[in-house]
Amino acid sequence: MKTITLVFLLLVTLSIICPHVYASGNAGESITYVSVQSLGPQRIGNLPPVPVPASNPQSSLKILLGKQLYFDTRLSKNNTISCSTCHSPLMGWSDAGPTSIGIHGQKGPRRAPPVSNAAYNHLQFWDGRAASLEEQAEGPIQNPVEMGNTLDNAVKTLNSIPGYVEEFKEVFGTTPITIKQVVDAIAAFERTVVTTDSPFDRYIKGDRDAMTPLEKQGMAIFNGKGHCTACHWGGYFSDGRFHDLGTAQTGPLKIDVGRYAVTGNPKDVRAFKTPTVRDVALRPPYMHDGSEKTLEEVVDFYNRGGGDDSNLDPLIVPLGLTAEEKKALIAFMSRALTSLNPEVNNVEPIPVSELPK
Amino acid sequence: MRRFYIFLSMMFVLAMLLPKSANAIPAFARKYGFTCTMCHTAYPKLNDFGQRFRDNGYQIPGQEGLEKNVFEIAPPLSLRTTAGFSIYNTQQGTTSGFNIYGLDLLAGGVLHKNISFLLIYTPRIDEPSADYTGPNNGNNPSQLASIESANIVFSNIIQNVFNIRIGRFEPAYQAFSSHRSFYIMEPYEVYTFTTPSNSFVFADNQIGVEMSGHFRSGFKYAAGIINGTGGNPDNSTYKDVYINLFQTFGKGDGQSAGQRIGVFGYYGWQPTVLPGTVVAPTGETNGTGNKPYYRVGGDVSLNWSTLNLEMLYMFGSDDKAFNTLDPNKDYMYSGGFAELDWATLVNNRLIASVLYNFVLPPSYDDTRTINAYSALVRYYLGNWTAFNVALHGEYTYRETGKINPLKENLFTALVDFAF
Repeated sequence: MKTITLVFLLLVTLSIICPHVYASGNAGESITYVSVQSLGPQRIGNLPPVPVPASNPQSSLKILLGKQLYFDTRLSKNNTISCSTCHSPLMGWSDAGPTSIGIHGQKGPRRAPPVSNAAYNHLQFWDGRAASLEEQAEGPIQNPVEMGNTLDNAVKTLNSIPGYVEEFKEVFGTTPITIKQVVDAIAAFERTVVTTDSPFDRYIKGDRDAMTPLEKQGMAIFNGKGHCTACHWGGYFSDGRFHDLGTAQTGPLKIDVGRYAVTGNPKDVRAFKTPTVRDVALRPPYMHDGSEKTLEEVVDFYNRGGGDDSNLDPLIVPLGLTAEEKKALIAFMSRALTSLNPEVNNVEPIPVSELPK
Repeated sequence: MRRFYIFLSMMFVLAMLLPKSANAIPAFARKYGFTCTMCHTAYPKLNDFGQRFRDNGYQIPGQEGLEKNVFEIAPPLSLRTTAGFSIYNTQQGTTSGFNIYGLDLLAGGVLHKNISFLLIYTPRIDEPSADYTGPNNGNNPSQLASIESANIVFSNIIQNVFNIRIGRFEPAYQAFSSHRSFYIMEPYEVYTFTTPSNSFVFADNQIGVEMSGHFRSGFKYAAGIINGTGGNPDNSTYKDVYINLFQTFGKGDGQSAGQRIGVFGYYGWQPTVLPGTVVAPTGETNGTGNKPYYRVGGDVSLNWSTLNLEMLYMFGSDDKAFNTLDPNKDYMYSGGFAELDWATLVNNRLIASVLYNFVLPPSYDDTRTINAYSALVRYYLGNWTAFNVALHGEYTYRETGKINPLKENLFTALVDFAF
């Protein structure tokens, strides 16, 4: 019997040691790459390097070209809407909401997801209908409520602008401009919109004074009683999966079936992709339809156990957070997770006069 | 010499009061990187999320098939131990001392999608030591060696409405788990109350099979077929059966949110004539003259903010064949408890609780009437993922018997360590 006990204790000791063998990181924290296929430690941590597909390697010229396209309204049918109209760097790479306003003042059905750190999404859009940034970039151009154009017409417009033709030839080596080149360039730029430096990131890297005691308390709640890391985990603070929170449907759509429209799986009815919490304070209102105006409202929503919905995700339960705990949680999300990356936060829209002619 | 016998008897009673092993499994927290309060109001008591995790075969709901299994992670092993100081007092005197109250070695996790296991081994703890030559030659261990739990769970056979657990497990008829109670000492008197010549103990983990389900409407059920003999050999030709039904109102599962009511029923048989022959490997030969007994009851769990009120009432009846006190009557008793838990400080670092227990045996056995009042305070030292440490203070005043009752005071201060 003593032998069994000794063996067990030895294994217990091993279990302490082993996680540190495969989990790297500073200050006792590990860096977790977000992947729905490799669930395991659901820790929060620093962002890993941006994943870049082999089919669309980064280059400085391509990134610059993508930036020009991102801010260029000529991709829309009537030259009024650009990507940045709804994904503005001045509004946390989203917009004022609650849902976006597209061409001819049409109201979009959902909140604009942030472009910042979108490179870490495995699937794009709230319902995950696009598998890459490249595929995503095609969507708004031809959406009648957003840019209202066609892909052919957008490409035709770009081919009529000598400055673009020249730049595309320099980046891709061929003419005429194709839609694949257009979305590749936009995606390349979007992969540079990454916020890796927040008080939280500095804390994880070892700067123990980077977060206030209240924010540290909030982080403990985020990973414990608040149940936030059940979904908002990894460097990207998202599991990349889809959940029905019972959110009030206040947008233009009376019914929004969410992920179900893509999969047809009844489990996905009204389920939406987990958004990142990084820089969340920069882009109120919240939820897929902007139905919660402030972070305080969001925390209250979760504290109540979400909304009333027959398909409510079983991860959603009332939390029993006190006023003090809510305050700490909001402090963590609003300041500690707000990036200090000037190269991302201070991206200025490119004036029309500086766009290719 | 008289004082020596008093000391002996008090040591024996104290040994009887020592705790059941209690469950908290930081290996799960380490797997996910969560802190304890993800699954526990404060360990070892489960919150709604933790209850759903347990009901789902130690898989986070919705992540079935995506999670790493036990072969892909560090060995999923945990231990929990409690050590501290007790003062035990009766009308006959007082005894006190430092003790190790329990040690659990736990392992559990996912083997394959919707197939998981749990193993809890409690080694024998001899106090002061195995070769102790004092009272009873050291044959009063503070903990017996036991495979307390060894079960495999097949979950989501039909979504989450049909799951099966096979092996030795804590049966669902214990509406409030004594293993995951904040109270370290045996918390629920009615669970451990034994009737004359019937060895069934409500608090015991049992060997058998349990089916359970959880519906979106808030309805839960569990039904099982078990030996009903705890970890001991079964010598009955019949097996025991039980069922319990829960309904939750509002959001949550009634553990830490929502309001829950439940009913439970247990029907068992035990032989009244035992041949006493031991036959390997299944244990004793079947006895004869099987007679029935049953337990029925109801329970309520009410939540408001971080307050949780748990109440349970149980009625028990044994066939008169078991009643050595009055063989002409079935032995009937009732009992229950009410417990109020309050979680406070950030991340539920402080727990305060009061508990009232009662057991009402028949009038001819009223020397075993129990009224007990308990209170505790627990403070958790941190919000760690790999382990946790709680400082625990617990007091119980218990009266046994109606006329000239035995009045017991038990105060325990200990450190509760879970890794």
